[in-house]
Order: sequence, then structure tokens, then C-alpha cells
Amino acid sequence: MMDKKLESRLRRERWLKLSAFLLIHLIGIVLLFTIDNLLVSFVLAFVINYLLAPLVSFFERKSIPRHVAILIPYFTSFLLIGVAVYLILPLVTEQIASLEAQLPTYQRDLLALIGRVETRIKTLVNLHELNATQTANNWLIAKTAELSTILPAIVSQSLTVALLAPFLAYFMLQDGRRISRGLLSMVPNNLFELALNLHHQINDQMGGFIRARFLEAAIVGLVVWLGLAIIGFPYAPLLAIFAALTNLIPYIGPIIGAVPAVLIALISEDGAVYQSMSVNLVVVTSIYFIAQLIDVLFIIPFVVARIVNLHPVTVILVIIIGAQLMGILGMVISIPVASVLKLTLTAVYNHLLDFRA
Amino acid sequence: MNILWDNIFRKPKKEDDIRTVLKENVLFRDLSERELSFVQDIVHVRRYHSGEAVFRQGEVGVGMYIIVKGRIEIYVTDPNAAQEEFRDIYITQLLDGDFFGELSLVEENGRRTASAVARDETVLIGFFKPDLTEILERNPSTGVKIVFRLAEVLGRRLKETTDKVSELRKTLKELRGPPPIAPYDGQET
Repeated sequence: MMDKKLESRLRRERWLKLSAFLLIHLIGIVLLFTIDNLLVSFVLAFVINYLLAPLVSFFERKSIPRHVAILIPYFTSFLLIGVAVYLILPLVTEQIASLEAQLPTYQRDLLALIGRVETRIKTLVNLHELNATQTANNWLIAKTAELSTILPAIVSQSLTVALLAPFLAYFMLQDGRRISRGLLSMVPNNLFELALNLHHQINDQMGGFIRARFLEAAIVGLVVWLGLAIIGFPYAPLLAIFAALTNLIPYIGPIIGAVPAVLIALISEDGAVYQSMSVNLVVVTSIYFIAQLIDVLFIIPFVVARIVNLHPVTVILVIIIGAQLMGILGMVISIPVASVLKLTLTAVYNHLLDFRA
Repeated sequence: MNILWDNIFRKPKKEDDIRTVLKENVLFRDLSERELSFVQDIVHVRRYHSGEAVFRQGEVGVGMYIIVKGRIEIYVTDPNAAQEEFRDIYITQLLDGDFFGELSLVEENGRRTASAVARDETVLIGFFKPDLTEILERNPSTGVKIVFRLAEVLGRRLKETTDKVSELRKTLKELRGPPPIAPYDGQET
């Protein structure tokens, strides 16, 4: 059907187009990794984009022009965040101040607890070299000193990301489809339908995945808040926000989220900080357990059905890599990034099988 | 001064061509000017060299194509053909304004039943399932108009195919001649 001369010309042209397409993506990836804060801002912008996209489409369906349809959820979000900050900030500041005031007590009680455990172990095993109290004390002092030096850098980085991410997200919502179309127009004809379908599938799955994860985190946070507030546990809102955020990390996130509350409960029980309140380890653990139970039994099967789970070993590896590269933030974003990669590779593989079957 | 303003506000000829082709296509015939602009921003314009395949039989189809300029030939490949030169069976030729592959807009992972090959330097408008989904999501009233027309086209194609099958059956019957009469064995049935 096609002569040799035309075939070689087409092959050359296809390679040229594909190379240009891949080169643009490569340049984009290099820029993301080399420019400070760009990767984190970009990932957050993607998250904002996926969270707001259904709302933008909803307003667009009401015959509102797209740029206005984007601004409505934007302004509403800013307003809600503003009101929340106005209402919660004094509470959080108060709680942080109280936590700060209680910190030496916690530190003393924690060391006392470790000391007691150490003595018990020594009587049981007769280990004379063990000096856990001193080691823990040194570690706590070192970490507190480290915190004061890295805190300004974290604040400045967070501010840059907080400004850049919504800005990027606005353009993703406004021009994202046009940019995608532009990039797709560079794909050679023989791969065009494959690329288009793949792009659509990834977009669809990522949107569902991110929205479901955030809904899941919000519900877990709400359950923890309610539970802790009912039993009158200290720092309930702070602990709930922490639990909601760490819940975004699959498998180990819920455990990390429960650690501060469990520690406070443990110290309260042992060191008698909150002995007047009827708070104990079992009740606090039960609240976190119930939150996870609701998540696993109701939210995941009915809401997060589209989540692509990674193997536990992969999760641990990916979190370690994320933590090594970008610290706590790396731990939070490592799973969505790994999920994107897994989704992309699976989709490419399935599509190649499908299209060439 | 007029020339200046004309040049600023005049759309490039290429864009005008795309709009005209969309407007004349049966699928988009019911759309208003505003809706057409919306669709024009969603569809994909692709260019093919003479002899280049748009899609091949057996590939998963994602959508349809409208010819803006050029010529497309449709072939069906018979893998059981004894000689290679008889493997591709020519079906038809499509010209400017014609469209093909529309069944893929409604099929779930449906495969192409024929191959489409460009015979001139050809410009096509690609309209795919994700594009239709996007229109239905962002502008349902426009989407419904397109889907109604699409259903009409598919219904007409089905009717044409049914007529063709009946015609072929009739021809086959005529070629075979009347059924043989069974010899009389003396028993009443």
C-alpha cells in the first residue's frame, strides 16, 4: 500500500515528532527538579486543579464563562480559608503556646518513662551498657536545636509554594486543555489515538484518585476531631489536622498520625500530666482505630474504589526515597507521585497490548 | 486603516476552513455559532501524507475523522487471502466533507473494521470519545445535540447495511436458483 521512499520519509518524520515531544517533556522534568520549590508547587497545583475541576465544570454547565467559573471556587476557597484561619488561628496559637509551655513537662515525663522502661529492662535482662535515658535526652536536645535553624527555611519554602501553587493551578484550569492539545498535536499520526486515549485515562484516574484521597483524609480528620473533642483530649483540632494530613500517606500515614496523641496519652497516664481527665491510652487508640475502621469499611469501598494501591514494600521504599529527597513534604507527595508513575506505566503497557493485539 | 482592522480581526483561512467543515457536517449541523466555537476548540486537526494510514484494521478506535481537504481510501484486509496483492480489498473513496470511523465514538474498546489510508496530502478533523465526553461534561446541551445527530447517522448506517444484506441475500438466492423439488413418494403430507 505504501512505497519504500514514502515509508522511510514517514518513519523519519515520526521519529522527529516523537523526539520533539519527548524532549519537551524531558526539559519540563529537568526544570521541575532543578528550580527550587517548582516541583512541590507543581504537584500541589495539580492537586488543586483536580480538586476544583468538577466545580469549574459545574459552573460552566450553568453557562458561566470558564475564566469566571474558575474564579468562583477560587474566591470561595480563599474566603473559606480566610474565615477558617480567622476562627482557628487563635485556637491553634493558643494550643501551640500551651504545647510549648507543656513541652518541658512532656520531655521530662517522656524521659522518666524511658528511664522506668530502661530500669525494668535492666532488671530483666541485666544490660549494664544500656543508657536509653541519656541517649533520648541527647537526641531531643539535638533535634530541638536543629528545628530552630531549619524552621525559617521551611517557612520561606512553604510561603513560596503557597503563592506559586494556586497561581499555577489557575493556569492549569484555564489553559490546561489547550496546552494538552498543543502537546498532543506533536505526537506522530500513528501514535496519536493511543496518546489521546492514554492522556484521557490518566487524567480521569488521577482526578478520581486525588479527590478520593482528600475526601478520605477529611473524613478521618473529622472523626478524630469529634472523638478527641468528646473525651476532652487536649489539642484535638491540631491532632485531627495532623491525622488528616498524614492519612494521605497510605499504610504508615495513619500510624504516624496517631503517634502524637498516643504519646500524649502515654505520658498523661504515666507522668500524671492529665490525670484529672478520664483519658487513657485505650480510649485514644480506639478513636484512631474507629476512624481507620470507618475509612476501611465505608470510605474505601464506596468512595475510594478507584484508588490504585501500591504494594506495602513499594510504599515503604517510595516513602524512604521521598523522605531522603524532600523530607516530610517528600513523604507526603511520594505516594501520589509513585501512583502517577504506576498508573502511567500500567496504562502505557495496557494500551500497547490493546492497540497492537 | 480598514486593511489593518481586517487583518487583525480576520481569522486565518485554515481556521475558517475548519469551521466551515464543522458547520456543514451532519453531527454539528444543529449547533449555534457559539457552540461551534466551543467544539472547534476541542477537536484536533491532523495532517497526513499521501499513502499514510489514518488507522489500520484491528486497532482500537477512539473516534471519527472528517475530511477537510484531500482523499481517503477505505480498505478491508483479508488475512486469509492466498496472494498478498489480493489481501487488501478496496471498499470506497471519501472526499472533502465526508466522515468515517464514527462508530468508535459509542463503542467500548471497539476495533476498527477497516483501514483508512490518505491518497493525497490530506487534512482531517479528529473528533474522539474523550472530546465528546468533555463536551457532554462542560456543555451538556451541545453534547446532546451532537449525540442525537450521531444516533441518527448510526441508525441510517444500520438501515443501509440491513438493506444491503437483504439485497445480497436476494442475489444469492437468485444465483442458487429455485430449491430442488423433492420426488413424489406417493404419500400425502
